[in-house]
Amino acid sequence: MAIENMAFLIPVLPALAFVLTFFLGKKLPNGGAIIPIIAIFTSFVISLLITMNLLQNPGQVVSQSYNWFAILNVGILIDPLAAVMLSMVSFVSLLIHIYAVGYMSHDKAQPRYFAETALFTAAMLGVVLSDNILQFFVCWELVGLCSYLLIGFWFEKPSAASAAKKAFLTTRVGDVMFLAGIILLFADIFKIFNGSIPQGVYVLRFDEIFSHIPEIAALNTQIFGFEVSHLTLITLLFFGGAVGKSGQFPLHVWLPDAMEGPTTVSALIHAATMVTAGVYLVARTFPMFIAAPYSLLIVAYIGAFTALFAATMGLVMNDIKRILAYSTISQLGYMMLGLGMGAVIGITAVGDSLFHLINHAFFKALLFLCAGSVIHAVGTQDIRQMGGVGKVMPITFATMLIASLALAGFGIPGTSIGVSGFFSKDPIIEAAYLFGESTENWFPYLFSIVAALLTSIYIFRLIFMTFTGKPRTSYGGHESPAVMTVPLIILGLLALVFGALTKTSFGNFLKETFGNNFVSIDIHALAEMGEYHLASHGSGSEPLIILWMPVIVAFAGLLISYLIYGMRILDMSSIVSRNNPIYKLLYNRYYQNAIYTEFLAVKVVYEGLSLAGRSIDRGFDWLVNFIGHIFMELADGLRQLQTGVVQNYATAVITGVSLLVILLKLIMEVF
Amino acid sequence: MLNKHFTIMQILTAVYNFFRPRIAGMVIAILFFAVVITSIVYTSWNSVDQIPQNPMDQSNIKGIGMLIFTDLVVPFEILSIVLLSTLMGAIYMAKGDGTQ
Amino acid sequence: MIPLFYYLALSAIIFSIGLFGFMTQRSGIRMLMCVELMLNAANINLVAFSSYNADLTGQVFALYSIALAAAEAAIGFAILMSIYRVRDMINLDKINVLRW
Repeated sequence: MAIENMAFLIPVLPALAFVLTFFLGKKLPNGGAIIPIIAIFTSFVISLLITMNLLQNPGQVVSQSYNWFAILNVGILIDPLAAVMLSMVSFVSLLIHIYAVGYMSHDKAQPRYFAETALFTAAMLGVVLSDNILQFFVCWELVGLCSYLLIGFWFEKPSAASAAKKAFLTTRVGDVMFLAGIILLFADIFKIFNGSIPQGVYVLRFDEIFSHIPEIAALNTQIFGFEVSHLTLITLLFFGGAVGKSGQFPLHVWLPDAMEGPTTVSALIHAATMVTAGVYLVARTFPMFIAAPYSLLIVAYIGAFTALFAATMGLVMNDIKRILAYSTISQLGYMMLGLGMGAVIGITAVGDSLFHLINHAFFKALLFLCAGSVIHAVGTQDIRQMGGVGKVMPITFATMLIASLALAGFGIPGTSIGVSGFFSKDPIIEAAYLFGESTENWFPYLFSIVAALLTSIYIFRLIFMTFTGKPRTSYGGHESPAVMTVPLIILGLLALVFGALTKTSFGNFLKETFGNNFVSIDIHALAEMGEYHLASHGSGSEPLIILWMPVIVAFAGLLISYLIYGMRILDMSSIVSRNNPIYKLLYNRYYQNAIYTEFLAVKVVYEGLSLAGRSIDRGFDWLVNFIGHIFMELADGLRQLQTGVVQNYATAVITGVSLLVILLKLIMEVF
Repeated sequence: MLNKHFTIMQILTAVYNFFRPRIAGMVIAILFFAVVITSIVYTSWNSVDQIPQNPMDQSNIKGIGMLIFTDLVVPFEILSIVLLSTLMGAIYMAKGDGTQ
Repeated sequence: MIPLFYYLALSAIIFSIGLFGFMTQRSGIRMLMCVELMLNAANINLVAFSSYNADLTGQVFALYSIALAAAEAAIGFAILMSIYRVRDMINLDKINVLRW
């Protein structure tokens, strides 16, 4: 039996493992961890074999479709893009599961934990394999659900419960935009076919969508007086979904709070499963993005801004996991920036960005697992209470150091010497330079290079504060058991050499994503349609100083944090105080949290409603004297709506929907 | 005709007494209805105004049966499981724990 | 041939009636009945569109949603019975533990 026929097992096995572990886990040792481990291992083997086949023959992708209902299908698509993601997700998830056997050994709810992580992995594998946008969305929502369950794993802690709620609601904002994009896309394709879909055509399959890009781009809608192409609208809505899932700038607030779950869950969310889904969505629909004017530029700006913005906050956090969380947001910003650079380097951008995604998955999983190891041993998450941990945990220290080097991106340009982060971050920064050169717009480049400096500073601050020096509090640390350190060593090796081994073959492999037996797309023609001017020469031909710049800032960052936190030569206590407005601003995370929850949620919505309610009450009292009985009745009725019963929620929803439709109609009529 | 015990006024009063405490719900339901009916009126249903193939033969039971047991058999089977588990759950809940 | 608009208007009217009832009635059983009304309004739409498109899938799905409505009603009544056992009444406006 050909291995392609077993492709459907990749998501199905972990899903089965979810059911089995959930019901049988209590009777097995270690909460039945062995079931998901075997299932995910099998998934990994299958995806690796398929990837090997694809490497031999990149034009022959695996594509299987079955009729779901009417004109929609379920199906599997494993092209180079999906293949590398599948291998990475199943591999990292496998290591995290093995590690979790040690990490969760003291937890009573082990069966629930392993069942949920297995479902999480299955959902993510489902996202990656989807060959149509609807199935993609279904699995995408399943990922969101699992993240809610896992972030709130210790739901008896109020902070964990509220963090889970926050993650769910924040990503929901993006998901609604994604769904709106899908609906718009569906309506447009239906319009293009003039309402009669031929037999055997699945309208939401990616090849069908991509073949209609020119027609969709020709459709226009008036929004606030601007002619907006439907393609731009759809891609921006999709990007809205990606912003929510990947924690980009306005919707990143849930990611740091997601640290309330077990550390292994954080590793799973940040490295393998959840946040990469957003980047994958943009990469998957890249032909649409490149054909839509402005879309890629917005992706690039948001990505670059997020990279810098999150890095500044990472500088001042004291919780070891929060530093890593902001680091993830910042690195995701780089990935989005890399995709946005498709505006100047075309299809290569997908390769660059995915390369960074894969490398980031390795070293970020490693960083989180090391942090988990430290937390497991020391029993606190505050780096001010650690120090000198390197002496008691040599393996953890060594692997964490490798991961930090990979994150900061150390290496020698022009050679094959360097850690994996170096080979993937550099092309993105170089592409940003090319972008600046061709459009005279240097913001993405400046943002990315400053963010690289800050990355180096905050990650070595973490290293120096945690692992070197003298213990600042007494803790009975010990090295973790082998079941935890072996995954660390494997990930450490990958973080060290994966980039150097695959730096050219990876990009070439991914270039085949949009030209094979499933889809065949002329990216250059699409780029012309999107009014992007692709650079004639590729990256790598910049001035020498530009090539060396990322490494120079990485070293500068290392030096700065060594002086401040290693040698303690520079005294930072005057700057690091609550009186310094900049520090205060950063420490309070730009008050964005405060703005979102305290201002938007409490002040505007809650108090606004109560004020409005009070005014209405008072207004009715006043009106009653003049107009009479009927308004008294109305006020009586309205007051009855405010009792806090289930019915009133339904009433409010219906009223809201009706008023929204009227409002929308009015706006569209007026403008 | 109306029974002599019920004058028009009394009926109106009864209707008024029914709707008086429910006026807010009435207003909202009418608002919603207005929104829906307006959108129905202003939508051009050009893609769906085909006449059924054979207006004489109105029975399509056969076609539905064919569909249920061919293309849509998976939701059908899932539905059977859902129904079974629902009824089990309903019985369990309605039965109570027998301690009262 | 009755135009499509009439079916949609009927469905909108039934839905609004169900909505009105759901928003104003206190008794849980009446609310459940109103929910059924709304559900069946949706079913009318399904069948209407399906018959105008000469595609039976919609009618099959109407059947499925009727079956699901039965499941929902069974669970709903079971919950109401549990509530009745605990609180000795089924006026859902008194069950406001869901506040905040």
